[in-house]
Amino acid sequence: MKEKLKAAILGMNRQKAIDLVEKALSEGEDPFGILKTCRAAMEEVGKRFETGEFFLSELIYSAEVFKEVCAILEPGLMAKQNSDESQGVVVIGTPKGDVHDLGKNLMATLMRSHSFTVYDLGVDVPHENLVKEVKRRKAPILALSALITPAFVSMRAAIDLLAAEGLRKKTFVIIGGGVTTDFARKEIGADAQTMNPAEAIRLCRRHLKGSDKAEQL
Amino acid sequence: MIRETMSRQERFKAAVSLEKPDRVPVMPLMTAFAVRSQGMTQGTAWRDPDMGFKAMLDTFNDLGGFDRLYKPNLFWPMIGGRFCSTPIRVLIPGRQLPEDSLNQIDERVLISRDDYDKLATLGWNAFWDEHYEKMTGGRKISYVAATQNQLLNLYKEEVTIYHGQDIHPLFGAYVDSSMMAFSMARTLTEFTMDLYEVPEKVKSAMDASCDDLIQNALDVVALTKIPVVFIVLERGSGFYYRTDIFDQFEWPYLRRYVDAFISEGLTPWFHLDTDWSLNLPYFREFPKGKCVADLDGTTDIFKAKEILGDHMCISGDVQAALLTLGQPHEVEAYCRRLIDEVGKNGGFILTTGCECPIDARFENVKAMVDTAKNYRGKNWH
Repeated sequence: MKEKLKAAILGMNRQKAIDLVEKALSEGEDPFGILKTCRAAMEEVGKRFETGEFFLSELIYSAEVFKEVCAILEPGLMAKQNSDESQGVVVIGTPKGDVHDLGKNLMATLMRSHSFTVYDLGVDVPHENLVKEVKRRKAPILALSALITPAFVSMRAAIDLLAAEGLRKKTFVIIGGGVTTDFARKEIGADAQTMNPAEAIRLCRRHLKGSDKAEQL
Repeated sequence: MIRETMSRQERFKAAVSLEKPDRVPVMPLMTAFAVRSQGMTQGTAWRDPDMGFKAMLDTFNDLGGFDRLYKPNLFWPMIGGRFCSTPIRVLIPGRQLPEDSLNQIDERVLISRDDYDKLATLGWNAFWDEHYEKMTGGRKISYVAATQNQLLNLYKEEVTIYHGQDIHPLFGAYVDSSMMAFSMARTLTEFTMDLYEVPEKVKSAMDASCDDLIQNALDVVALTKIPVVFIVLERGSGFYYRTDIFDQFEWPYLRRYVDAFISEGLTPWFHLDTDWSLNLPYFREFPKGKCVADLDGTTDIFKAKEILGDHMCISGDVQAALLTLGQPHEVEAYCRRLIDEVGKNGGFILTTGCECPIDARFENVKAMVDTAKNYRGKNWH
């Protein structure tokens, strides 16, 4: 089943993936095991995206499949929640001034599929709420997505507030989305910027391993 | 200041046809920025088209004037009920958004997967005649059509006023590309799923819609009499999709658009948001010196010059982040680089990368306009 499920996800075949998951569950397979297989497939999707074999459309497609599979697995997973599985905690949102959510939603799903614990605050989020959530979840990563420039003001305000709360050094701030550039990253004071979802995951992982922040700053 | 020997019209035409103008033409694609520059709230300009028009004109003059005006006002010209793009829901400042916010698109699923079959049978126009009221929960298409016709008349009147002042609005009509229109109707995610799961349905719907979209744009141009069609692309680029998808769902229709527009003596203006690097070689198949590739800062414009520069006019790409967060000297330095490298041997129009951001610093936009007027470029022979 594992190889077939992986092949269905990599082959962009949603229905087949769902059928396989449902069959596996009905046969008593451990939902965590199934989730692990899906995550392995998503890791492979990410790798293929980084090499140029896959495009953003394949990330979008497989992320949707992953989301649907998770919804099927959820009851079984809830019963055996295991936080040790998490690679790290991420707070994500589209900052105040911007209501676009496509990029943010894709990023949230991909991060979940790569074993991050993600708290998605939605769109048009005031900077105070972003920082409050970072504090509450003890999140080492704050990910901000934006399509229009008014979001820059909120991004900067969030970073300033992190500093005022003594959280700046502990929080890796990564920005992305159509309007962001490396120039914007420097001006706002974020740690990283990318338009590439697979790179975002790599940067977050690298940060969690403790090697990234000094390099970026 | 460079001594000008061409009119604004001549300069623009020279750039499009790859001839060398007296200097690089310049045009910030401004709408919301103009409103804010005049100290007006966005809501004011959305409620009162006269105020929107005034903001555009006053900001144009405050910036010292430039070669083309992106839009006469905040709205797009469209014949009532004949949609040149998907009738998306736009969140308006002072209504669904705070009074001084930027208007934003609320991207939602507007048609179902089953609607592809209806589109294939009815075509674009007849489909929306039938579907619009259902989609909006009872809003009559005749209501929106009346508003659109009113705005179209206003557009024509405003164009006449501008022309009287030697100010030239950029486009006579705008139209969504095939993938743009359907992606906005289904949302990016759902449309992507459709391309993998029901490609033949998507294709049939596109086949049946293309002629209507072209004709709608041509009908608008016949009224506005400005010979440029602004084609909104973005969703079909190599940033999102591999080229075999582009080959099937974007390129054949874009070719039909371009053939139709050029045969009517119009200039297709490709508004290419996102990264089009992978697709740019295709654009060499279009007739030389007849179109404009307008880049938003995501595509490497310097590489684009290498690929397309001897074949198609390029416009772009002073980025939103630079205009908002940067300093005038940084804007000037980037514009000089664009003029030197992309403007080399002509075929370049200096524009903002996509629309000028609402919160761009006025002095930065002024620096952009002034650089084109003052700096001819080191490769200008």
